[in-house]
Amino acid sequence: MRVLSGVIVMLFAAVAAGCSDSPGDDGFAGLAKQMGDSEESGFLQPRPGNTLTFPEDWGSHPQHRIEWWYLTANLETPEGKPVGVQWTQFRQALQPRAAETAPPDPGAWPLEAAWMAHGAVSFEGGHWFTEKLARGDVGHAGATAEPFQVWLDDWRLESVPGSADWRLQASGNDWSYDLRLRNTSDVVMHGNEGFSAKSASGEGTMYFSVVDLQIEGTVTLADETLEVSGKGWFDREWSSQFLKAGQQGWDWFALHLAGGEKLMAFRLWEKDDTYLSGSWINANGDVEVLGNEDLTLAAINWRETPQGRIPVAWRLRVPAQEVDLTISAPAGNYWNSGLYRYWESPVSITGSHDGVGYMELTGYSD
Amino acid sequence: MADPVLVVERLSKRFSSGGQPVTVLTDLSFNLAKGESLAVVGRSGSGKSTLLNLLCGLQVPDKGNITVTGESFSESVNSDSDARWTELRRRSIGVVFQQANLMPALSLEDNVRLRSHLAGHAAGHERGWLERLGIGAEADRYPDQVSGGQAQRAALAMVFAMAPAVILADEPTGSLDRNTADEVADCLFAMQRDSGCALVLATHDRELASRCDHLLDLSALHLGGTD
Amino acid sequence: MMLVRAFVSHYRRHPFQLAALALMIVLATMLWTGVTVLTDQARNSLFQSEEAVAAGVHVVRTDGRPVRVEDFAELRMAGLCVAPWLEVRRPPPAGRVIGIDPLAMGCFGKAAPGGNRGELDGAPFLDISAAVRLAREGYDSRLYLLASTENETLPQGYALREFSLGPSTGELADSFLLNLDALSLLVLLITGLLVRSVHRLGIAQRQDSFDLLFRFGVPGRRVRQLLALELVVLTGVCVLPGLWLGTQLAAILGGGFGQALNSLFDVNLYAGAAESLPWQAAAVMVLLVLAVCLVDWLVPRRWQRAVSSARGRLLAVLVLFAGLAGVALAPDLAGVFAGTAVVFVAAGWLTPGLLALSAQKLSDGTDLDGSGPLTRWRRRELAVMFGHLALPVVALQFAMATVLAVQALVTTFESTFDDWLAQRLEAEFYVEVPAGADAGLAAERLQNLEGIGPWHRVTRGEAVISDEGAAGEDKTAVVDLFALTPVSELVVDWTLLASMERPWQRLAQGAVMVNEQLARRHQLELGDTLEFRVADTEMGANIVAVYADYGRPAGEILVSGSALPEDFSARFESFSVNPGEWAMAEISEQLADVWNVSDVTVRDNASIHALASQVFGQTFLLTRAISLLTLVLAAVALLIMSWVFFSTRAWYFRLLGIWGLPAGAIHHQLRRLSVTLTLAVTITAIPLGIWLTWVLVSRINPLAFGWSLPMDLYPLFWLELGLIAVVTGLVVAYLMRWQLVQRENGKQVKS
Repeated sequence: MRVLSGVIVMLFAAVAAGCSDSPGDDGFAGLAKQMGDSEESGFLQPRPGNTLTFPEDWGSHPQHRIEWWYLTANLETPEGKPVGVQWTQFRQALQPRAAETAPPDPGAWPLEAAWMAHGAVSFEGGHWFTEKLARGDVGHAGATAEPFQVWLDDWRLESVPGSADWRLQASGNDWSYDLRLRNTSDVVMHGNEGFSAKSASGEGTMYFSVVDLQIEGTVTLADETLEVSGKGWFDREWSSQFLKAGQQGWDWFALHLAGGEKLMAFRLWEKDDTYLSGSWINANGDVEVLGNEDLTLAAINWRETPQGRIPVAWRLRVPAQEVDLTISAPAGNYWNSGLYRYWESPVSITGSHDGVGYMELTGYSD
Repeated sequence: MADPVLVVERLSKRFSSGGQPVTVLTDLSFNLAKGESLAVVGRSGSGKSTLLNLLCGLQVPDKGNITVTGESFSESVNSDSDARWTELRRRSIGVVFQQANLMPALSLEDNVRLRSHLAGHAAGHERGWLERLGIGAEADRYPDQVSGGQAQRAALAMVFAMAPAVILADEPTGSLDRNTADEVADCLFAMQRDSGCALVLATHDRELASRCDHLLDLSALHLGGTD
Repeated sequence: MMLVRAFVSHYRRHPFQLAALALMIVLATMLWTGVTVLTDQARNSLFQSEEAVAAGVHVVRTDGRPVRVEDFAELRMAGLCVAPWLEVRRPPPAGRVIGIDPLAMGCFGKAAPGGNRGELDGAPFLDISAAVRLAREGYDSRLYLLASTENETLPQGYALREFSLGPSTGELADSFLLNLDALSLLVLLITGLLVRSVHRLGIAQRQDSFDLLFRFGVPGRRVRQLLALELVVLTGVCVLPGLWLGTQLAAILGGGFGQALNSLFDVNLYAGAAESLPWQAAAVMVLLVLAVCLVDWLVPRRWQRAVSSARGRLLAVLVLFAGLAGVALAPDLAGVFAGTAVVFVAAGWLTPGLLALSAQKLSDGTDLDGSGPLTRWRRRELAVMFGHLALPVVALQFAMATVLAVQALVTTFESTFDDWLAQRLEAEFYVEVPAGADAGLAAERLQNLEGIGPWHRVTRGEAVISDEGAAGEDKTAVVDLFALTPVSELVVDWTLLASMERPWQRLAQGAVMVNEQLARRHQLELGDTLEFRVADTEMGANIVAVYADYGRPAGEILVSGSALPEDFSARFESFSVNPGEWAMAEISEQLADVWNVSDVTVRDNASIHALASQVFGQTFLLTRAISLLTLVLAAVALLIMSWVFFSTRAWYFRLLGIWGLPAGAIHHQLRRLSVTLTLAVTITAIPLGIWLTWVLVSRINPLAFGWSLPMDLYPLFWLELGLIAVVTGLVVAYLMRWQLVQRENGKQVKS
């Protein structure tokens, strides 16, 4: 499939003209690609002071280069066996479209954006992953705010008519899930009113989450259908310049603690430097932004896998909240091996608090 | 000698074999008159066939003269002498070989017809000639359908049908058994007498040679020549 | 060891015979290898292209409308793996491009159409958005939705159809390949005959030695073993240079063919000559040589004798008629091929005997006055030659028949292709209607131009006809719709295969014409009423003509544009214009004005015509070259054979000289004999060649592709072939004469 990979590389990486000298500088999946002067490229870049607008921000942002809708869920079977579920849809624009401009004619098969969806299920040490691709603006992939719908082919996350619930359906060759999601809390805005800095030099994203989704439904693996229920975490994030030049990858955690608190933390890393950030959400839903100094994160155990050496256990501390957690991935191999390989695994938490959550690690693949 | 048909004067012929010259004939002279016969004998390689070839113009002597029915040829060769030899073979010199005297694609009658046609005779008497040689019943047969003796009789029929002045016969009975050979030889001599033509007969067969008027032993000549 | 020496001593004395056999094997291997490599490469090339373009199935709408991007989105959202495939047809040299969506092809996995075909920067594949931009410049284009076959259930309103691309040119290439196949089989047959003839002659001449060996107590079986061993060694040695020469030959010819293919498909499809030696071809050759040379030991002697008996001849005649009937009546290609083979076998079986018999009869009837006896002798000799040279004579006959058929086929292809081009490019210029432009306005403007030459508007789209023969529930078929407004004098020269009176007037009044493909497939005849649907309008009209439409798989209906319903939407529109008193530039300015565009695309049909003809010319060149090489080989074989044969007959020509026939007259007889031989072979080749042409044109092509080619005969080429035969005959005569002179000199020395 050289055609495909050639084009995908073209779509997802070599977008802007005049790119940086070495491919390593583009960061994971080209997300550190320097887009140059934003006015020249026509893409909008989030800045401190930008705020969120609802319901529009549930939908897509054609003036921004990259964005995603991201759901992770720690579910259980009636017997109490953990089931991890991931669903993500990405949009990568090749050219920006101003807010007032009408979408292009689908009959022209426009190539303004490319869409990618990932679905994964983790169960009893096994990991099932499928990737789907589509071009935007012809109808079979997209996202709208009202009604809320994010879809690619027959995968979709959509609000259930006449209810505040969402429904998520996705399927791969030997897996599928059909889940109903109920939101029980307010939207959590990360960083500065939704602007989440990704480096000290000001690169950042607009970022908000729904952190307390109650989920019920079924997960089917091969011929076995499991009744599942549990908690989910949903992220919305968009930008035109995500990583700063030189940043190589990130470690990201979304954790549900036993007392009802939630913790989001990420670390962006480069050769000699790291950038830490996060959000602490207490049981009442109050949010405290965590900066570089408020967090410490260290890998404490590594696992050799055919795809690379991966840190599978971490120590995460938030001293101000008296949080000192040991975070561990279960046994198994949780690589999502699509166009860009990354690690996405459910985690269990011990230490000052017990809990469950999800961990995403990029930049470790060989 | 009255009315010589064939006059041979001081005829010499040599070949080169493996770089060495081999003399076959040296200063050979003889005359043959109408109705006379000459037997040419000698061991193999003594020059019997060469002499016959010289006598019908298929080979050219190194030296000497040959006169056939008044046409005279020397050792010099030109297109005129070629044409004259060809004309002589066509009308006046009949040649009979040991075998393969007939066109295999033609019936005996057609063979005779072709030969007499070439000699300038009108068609119509072929069957008569075959009957005279005792093979009239075989006229419509092809050479591969008749016996060796019949084939040689047919060859004689062809020769006599052309009414030649000279017949050159090279071992005409050489491939036949004794009885058949005698029968064919009887025919040959009888018809030669009837037609009055001259006959040069090359043979190994002393008995056959003894039936001729003259004898030319090339082995003796040759030995004599080298002495 | 002594035995072996005795065995091969014949060749020490007659090295020429050994050389002839070796040469024959080398040449035969060369020709066969060349043809094999070429056909294999052509096939691989086409196979690659087919793999590149074939998804197996595509999705169509059951209402017959063309699929659109909305259908794609709907099917994808229903969970089906479909991908768009937009063909944009541009005239040569730009050629066809195919727009694909690589992102959508992700779900095809490894079986993705266009997969392994290189990256998107290589023609003909483009991102579909770029292809749409091209199409909107005014080129004819068509969208397909390719599906992976795993989709069992389709949403209501959709159906799966077989998807095979490589449309017009693809079929011509297939047809060409099929001809090449038939040709290579004939080549194999001919080379087999040639090798056998040379080998048999050698055996016949060595018969005495074998008899001698037998008398010395060597068993016949042992002799056969040695013969087989000798043949294996000789073949093994000779096949190698033949193989090498064959690949060189293929490389030389293949270059041109590759170029032609590239031009046809716009892709570098020609699988180059860098592959290893074609050992399979060598193996076939070794087997062939062994089979044709040793078959005598396998076939009981009784049968062998029966073959040339009167009963055998009768049987051959029966076989011939069976083959002819088989070819005429066979329902499929395999039957036609088998029938053709049978006819050739029977023809080869009968021809030498018939020729010999004719020569015999002729000689029996010779007038015996004048030079009659000599003429009779020559004719008898000819009859003998036909018998002895039966195999090379038959080989030459087959080769000539093949050349004749190939020439007729290629010439027919060329002239019909010219017709076809003229039919498509009937006017001096054509003007494409840009996307979104109103062709009607332009037509009005052209109407009002005083002094303009004949012109018409071409509208292309689709129609649905009922298809009773279709399997399953869906009884409809989508066909191309071709509309002319007005029915101008530009089209009245079209080749109509069948027509009623005044077909074009009737067409203008609302009748329809159909192309040959549609007529054949649906058994449509003149006067039938054709029911069809255009957009949502049911229509029906009388068929007034069937027109030739070469090299295209699609059925097509031709209507007058005035008959089109309101709701019809054209897939493509253009104008064919003869400018008359106007300059084309002025007309295009007028149209640009009407359409409010800065520039109008105008194509000069003469240059397109020239380019297209050139492309096909290259393709045909190869076919001709192969068939001519076959002829040359057959002629060489005849020379060799005549040479060897003559050595057995030379004495009798010498006898003529002894009987007083001048040398000039003997040589004259030789010339007459050999020229008569080759001319007679030519004469027997002509009916076989004509018949083979008919088979290729009227049987094989329609069975394989649904369209026939008109059958034309080219008597001038027969004359050319006759001339070649005369030259061959003269060369044979010259060789014989040379041998005669040599022998005469030799004889004298030996005495």
